[in-house]
Amino acid sequence: MSSFNDLAESVITGNFGKVKEITQEMIDKGIGPLEIINDGLIAGMNVVGVRFKAEDMFVPEVMMSAKAMAGGMELVKPLIADTDMPSVGTVVLGTVKGDLHDIGKSLVAMILESGGFKVVNLGTDIAPEGFVKAIREHKPQIVGMSALLTTTMLNMKATIELLKEEGLRDQVKVIVGGAPVSQSFADEIGADGYGSDAMVAKDLCFKLVGKAS
Amino acid sequence: MRFEFLSEAEVKQVHQATLAILNQIGIHTTSPRLKKLLVNNGCKEQGDRIVFPPEVVEKALSTAPKTFKVYGRDDSHMLEFGKNKAYAQTCVGTPSIMDLDSGEKRDVTLKDLEDYVKLADALEYIHVISPIFPRDVPQEIIVSAETVAMLRNTTKPLRICAESSHEMKYIVDILAAVAGGKEALRQKPLAYIEVSPLSPLEYGFDPAEALIDIVEAGLPLGVIPCPMMGSTGPMTLIGCVAQHNAEILAGVVASQLLKPGSPVIMSPRVTFMDMRSGVGLWAMPEMGTAAAASIEMARYYGIPSTATGYSGAAKSADAQSGYEHLYNALMPALIGTDVLAAAGSLDNVLTSCFAMLVMDNELSSVVQRTIQGVEVTTERLAVDVIAEVIESHGNFLAHKHTRKYLRAGELWDPPLGDRQTFEKWALKGEKIEKKAREKAKELLSNHQVEPLSAGVDAELELILKRAREEAEIF
Repeated sequence: MSSFNDLAESVITGNFGKVKEITQEMIDKGIGPLEIINDGLIAGMNVVGVRFKAEDMFVPEVMMSAKAMAGGMELVKPLIADTDMPSVGTVVLGTVKGDLHDIGKSLVAMILESGGFKVVNLGTDIAPEGFVKAIREHKPQIVGMSALLTTTMLNMKATIELLKEEGLRDQVKVIVGGAPVSQSFADEIGADGYGSDAMVAKDLCFKLVGKAS
Repeated sequence: MRFEFLSEAEVKQVHQATLAILNQIGIHTTSPRLKKLLVNNGCKEQGDRIVFPPEVVEKALSTAPKTFKVYGRDDSHMLEFGKNKAYAQTCVGTPSIMDLDSGEKRDVTLKDLEDYVKLADALEYIHVISPIFPRDVPQEIIVSAETVAMLRNTTKPLRICAESSHEMKYIVDILAAVAGGKEALRQKPLAYIEVSPLSPLEYGFDPAEALIDIVEAGLPLGVIPCPMMGSTGPMTLIGCVAQHNAEILAGVVASQLLKPGSPVIMSPRVTFMDMRSGVGLWAMPEMGTAAAASIEMARYYGIPSTATGYSGAAKSADAQSGYEHLYNALMPALIGTDVLAAAGSLDNVLTSCFAMLVMDNELSSVVQRTIQGVEVTTERLAVDVIAEVIESHGNFLAHKHTRKYLRAGELWDPPLGDRQTFEKWALKGEKIEKKAREKAKELLSNHQVEPLSAGVDAELELILKRAREEAEIF
């Protein structure tokens, strides 16, 4: 029978089919879902995180690993209560109003998920009201906004203003990112943090929820 | 001068792949006007996408003009598109600038935009002006305000990016006020305006609507999506070039369906991603080689083109930015393109830098010099001169052939670079960035830009006021 090591290794190599197969096999054998998650799936993803940080793995490879891990998660999820699901925290992510650029934000979503966050990816062209609605619904610790266009990045400010008006600003940390965004811009609009790339964003989220990455 | 990056057979392969992408995959758009235009003129709806039959594409390619002109306020700055002159254009939309005094990176202000345009106006080998992105201007009227600031600080032609459609009417009014009316503007356009659809193959509402407004206003249109190899386009360079070519041709076709013969520019920008961090790169060599391949496609169609030449990943005006910019500019220039963009940029076109603009002025000078090629004539081959010098036991310094061609400009004269003896150089020991910064300061304090007439200036102010009022900014 396959070991936790085999499961972790299949996550590391991004073998979606193999991860599902081993996970199912373990479930059938009666191995506890939390063990499968912690000792197999997340153990593998932790190695991926280290290798990515050390520049030994490329973005598309990490993406495959994350996808493989998610495939396993899907199988074990129904077996445990939501509250027992190991999660570092919840992050709501979206590209701001008027901006259809998706790739950077999706990369951040993937990296955060691989780090153990629950990510609610709202998609692109999200109006301030859309962020408000998602915060009420998902109660995240962190809201992340992305923009690629200089002409749309100011909608980050509009979103923060609306969060204040709606009395939500104190309930969430706000982070921003995207090519034209900078730390000084983040400070200026009153965001809690800025990530210059996806890995920095992940470290930032860990810091904001008060946990070690 | 004729260089090839792709062979003739390979160009045809890319063209066939492009036709297949347009015919089988097509584009998606949320603009009802663009959709209607395409579907009413031979394109077909296929699910939620619009596909382009090859005959529609080929017909549009045949009506796109091979040459046209864009003017500055001063006619001596006129640009001839389609002649592959590799004009240099300042970088658009950078939110940051390197402060000329402190050398530190900071946000761009309206004053920076004015200074930067003025510097570009003063630099001989910078030919086209595009706006950097000021933070202290109301967002709703940003492109209008930028356009006015540019017109006040340069007499050179403008290149404007329409990221949204709602400002198009003000932009056209502003340009028309300076040109002397809308008809005068059509006759002598003071700008070409580019739209940037999303990769892969997505014509979002704003770029699609702006595209139609630009063509209807009779202004030259540029189509400039920016795919990234491996994330918003295929990982393979040539695959990304093919997808990109299809994205651009979709806009070219739309322009020709709307108004056959209307001026259109292909502006390929195949970029790539640092797969270790996800950061978008406009560095070398991929940027330059992909531009060479894409520009070869534009050359094959006989449609004017632009490429991002003066770009790189370097963070300051240094040796890295020098070699990156020269590589990325020279590659498409050797194939033959009309404009090399992003002059003065640093950090993957996110930051502008006065010193880098002065350095790119130098690179532009040498790029233009290179693509001029050489004239091969009997007199220039100088067989007789060689014989005379050998017979006289003299040297070429004393021959009149030398004086004649030296005075005619046979040697390139660097506007900036150092060529002194080591000893003379060592007296000051100046590095290029410092020298470039000094030159920028000197030009900014001495250069005078021909002002707009008081009447026109007041009219521009009124248009901006109207734009502000309609956007409800008071």
